[in-house]
Amino acid sequence: MGIDVTVKIGGEAGQGIQTVGQLLALTCQKAGLYVFAINDFESRIRGGHSFFQIRISDKQVRAPHHQVNMLVCLDRKTLEIHRDEMTTDGLIMLATKDAVDAAQGVLSIPLFDLASKAGSAITANTVAAGASLALLGAPLDLFSDIITRQFAEKSAELRRQNLAAAQLGYETVRGITFNSAFSWTGREPKGKLIEGSLSVALGALAADVRFAAFYPMSPATSIMGHLVNYADKFPLVVEQAEDEIAAANMVVGASFAGVRSMTATSGGGFCLMTEALGLAGMSETPIVIVNAQRPGPATGLPTRTAQADLHFVIRAAQDEFPRFVFAPGSPEDAYNTAARALHLAEKYQVPALILVDQYLLDSLYIIEEEFLVSDTIERFIEEAGDDISYKRYSCTQTGVSPRRIPCLGTSLVLANGNEHNEEGHSIESITERTNMVIKRNAKVPYMKAEMRPPQIAYGDAQILLVGWGSTAGAVYEAAGILRNVGMDCGVVHFADIWPFPGDAALSALGNAKQFFIVENNSTGQFAQLLRQETGLVPTAPILKFDGRPFYPIEIVKRIKEMAR
Amino acid sequence: MISISDFDVQYENKWCPGCGNFGILAAMKDALAKQGIAPHDILIISGIGQAAKTPEFMKCNMFHGLHGRALPLATGAKLANHRLKILVNTGDGDCYGEGGNHFMHAIRRNIDLTVLAHNNMVYGLTKGQASPTSERGMVTRIQNHGVIQESFNPLLVALALKAGFVARGFSGNIEHLSMLIQEGMKHRGFSLIDIFQPCVSFNSINTHKWYSDRVYEVTQDNHDPTDYDAALKKAREWGDLIPIGIIYKEEKPSFTDQIYGLAEGPLVERKFNPMPLREILHKM
Repeated sequence: MGIDVTVKIGGEAGQGIQTVGQLLALTCQKAGLYVFAINDFESRIRGGHSFFQIRISDKQVRAPHHQVNMLVCLDRKTLEIHRDEMTTDGLIMLATKDAVDAAQGVLSIPLFDLASKAGSAITANTVAAGASLALLGAPLDLFSDIITRQFAEKSAELRRQNLAAAQLGYETVRGITFNSAFSWTGREPKGKLIEGSLSVALGALAADVRFAAFYPMSPATSIMGHLVNYADKFPLVVEQAEDEIAAANMVVGASFAGVRSMTATSGGGFCLMTEALGLAGMSETPIVIVNAQRPGPATGLPTRTAQADLHFVIRAAQDEFPRFVFAPGSPEDAYNTAARALHLAEKYQVPALILVDQYLLDSLYIIEEEFLVSDTIERFIEEAGDDISYKRYSCTQTGVSPRRIPCLGTSLVLANGNEHNEEGHSIESITERTNMVIKRNAKVPYMKAEMRPPQIAYGDAQILLVGWGSTAGAVYEAAGILRNVGMDCGVVHFADIWPFPGDAALSALGNAKQFFIVENNSTGQFAQLLRQETGLVPTAPILKFDGRPFYPIEIVKRIKEMAR
Repeated sequence: MISISDFDVQYENKWCPGCGNFGILAAMKDALAKQGIAPHDILIISGIGQAAKTPEFMKCNMFHGLHGRALPLATGAKLANHRLKILVNTGDGDCYGEGGNHFMHAIRRNIDLTVLAHNNMVYGLTKGQASPTSERGMVTRIQNHGVIQESFNPLLVALALKAGFVARGFSGNIEHLSMLIQEGMKHRGFSLIDIFQPCVSFNSINTHKWYSDRVYEVTQDNHDPTDYDAALKKAREWGDLIPIGIIYKEEKPSFTDQIYGLAEGPLVERKFNPMPLREILHKM
């Protein structure tokens, strides 16, 4: 039996749960284990309830597990909320004021007193982590090394306190046995520990993004935070704009002036960006917008996850214009997609949208695939010529006009959000309007040819699970569980969404006996899109719209109920 | 040698005959020619409105963008290539209404743009509704009992935000306006030139004569444009006499002068280097 242990640390916002979660994950990675972790928190800075849930395994894991082997409660609320999630032999670690006591699966530890003893009550999280690792059988020095490394740039005092806290936690539970403990030796570290948001930022850097503007909004801000962290090493400027309207217009302006540009926001901010999205469409200026979905409408649930903006991004802004929409299903794909979006936006002079969500961005993954960085960037920009006959919107067979950059030559570059002629001047004439619409739409077949078909596993199976975007991990794991119990189950996962790869969808699903579409929304938006584009109708949808990600077991249960 | 006629364009002008915009267009061409700036060396960015059509009517690089959004569009372009010389043509509705937030924050950034705010105190393109600068009491087909809001004072707002170049021009004084545009373009940082302009179709109050009867050049008063308090006073002058000219001027580092990542040159000119990212990935 392999290792598959889930540890959940819960408490109030401000208790350092995410920080200690990161330390735990790094410790596991260093020990050569795989982890997958979700961050669940409320829209507040102090108080409330938040948790970090890490799944530790000796095999790659890409979805959260529904049962908890160890529940670490920094407050009583954690115990009340999550008690029912425990496995039968699970262990609850409870912060108390009393002495250490272990009885009936509950281990009481004076976490805060021990933290004070280490030098500061704020290190209760580190005491808990030290105790958890001890119970799981991990050697202390593994954890101490990670603390030393992570606190290298912090004060010596803070480092000392955390090391002491880890040791106190570790020693306090010595001698207490835990059924889920396992051996921590004999493995080499695998790959890198990465959060989804970082993979998006790195992918953008790989495609030479040089300008990013944004207005802070969960859960998208972290992408911009990563870009800022690295900006000094690149020809890159990140600007916090006065609002999302400004951010999106700045991105259009910077792209027009010759650099690859992007922004990241969430649904509400994207609402404000739709005007500039249309401007990019009309003026044929390449831009990339990341929409990190969260439940809505309006403010909705700011710190939670959803996949309910699919129709919105495909249709956002008035009238019609070509655009790309991508929905990566993993951090590896998020890296490649961010790079591809910048590349393809420029190649076709259209906006490209990347749909991610809180779940994909805020989760921690182990990635083994190498993130590739190409030596050169293919730009789709003409040398600034000196011919005065240059026309920014000249009609071509592919609809893509040769693009030049203003003020780099003597030819004039005229961009316009008004309907325009080939030169770029505003027009009203019937013929010119018609020709320009046809020209812009002429790109679509070429754009469609760029779309990757869905990723397929066991495509001939009796039951196909269909997913798009961030549900990939849960969908694949659910299919694996079903196969293990003898059900003939496969997966079809879409990451390239628009222009819709209809032929590939038809060939993947056209002959399916039964297929079920898994989505984090309430109306089955992808199912509607699939029907619109191919006429195919799923056997049933599997929907979840409570703001939380799918557990594989939820999909398994629905399939067992519904599959014939 | 660049001449005014170098900016002439084969494209039909769509303003009403007698529109104040013609004077502004003439002053722009004159200011550019006098500075020796060729059409291909200037980028003009505009929003939406009669004012925002200006770059269509002269030879230049142009981005005719969205209503109210000329300033962020121009800010993005300037950040991508801070060597660009950028003029922004905008109107009182475009800049002070729809784009009010961007106006405030472009000033705060001190981004090096020269903003020509064609201020005719009325909406022209949408046919005569009140604008943010319409005077109290002005009756329109929409404000049929007269405007009841306070009129927006762009100079005072710009001064409150410590804009480094605040001026007012008049479309009826092309030579003076050309001087202001040249000075504004020379100024390193955000320059606001609010320009009085009659709307012959929809504003029967603030006519060419109305402006001509009132405007006087601040230099007549020995106004010191480096004196902030004196500038605040000038910006509040309204009535029988209204000042035009450079109201306030302060040298300070522009936005792009202060951005760490731009010290090595404009973003658009830099070469792609895969090494820093490879190092980051390697260290992870």
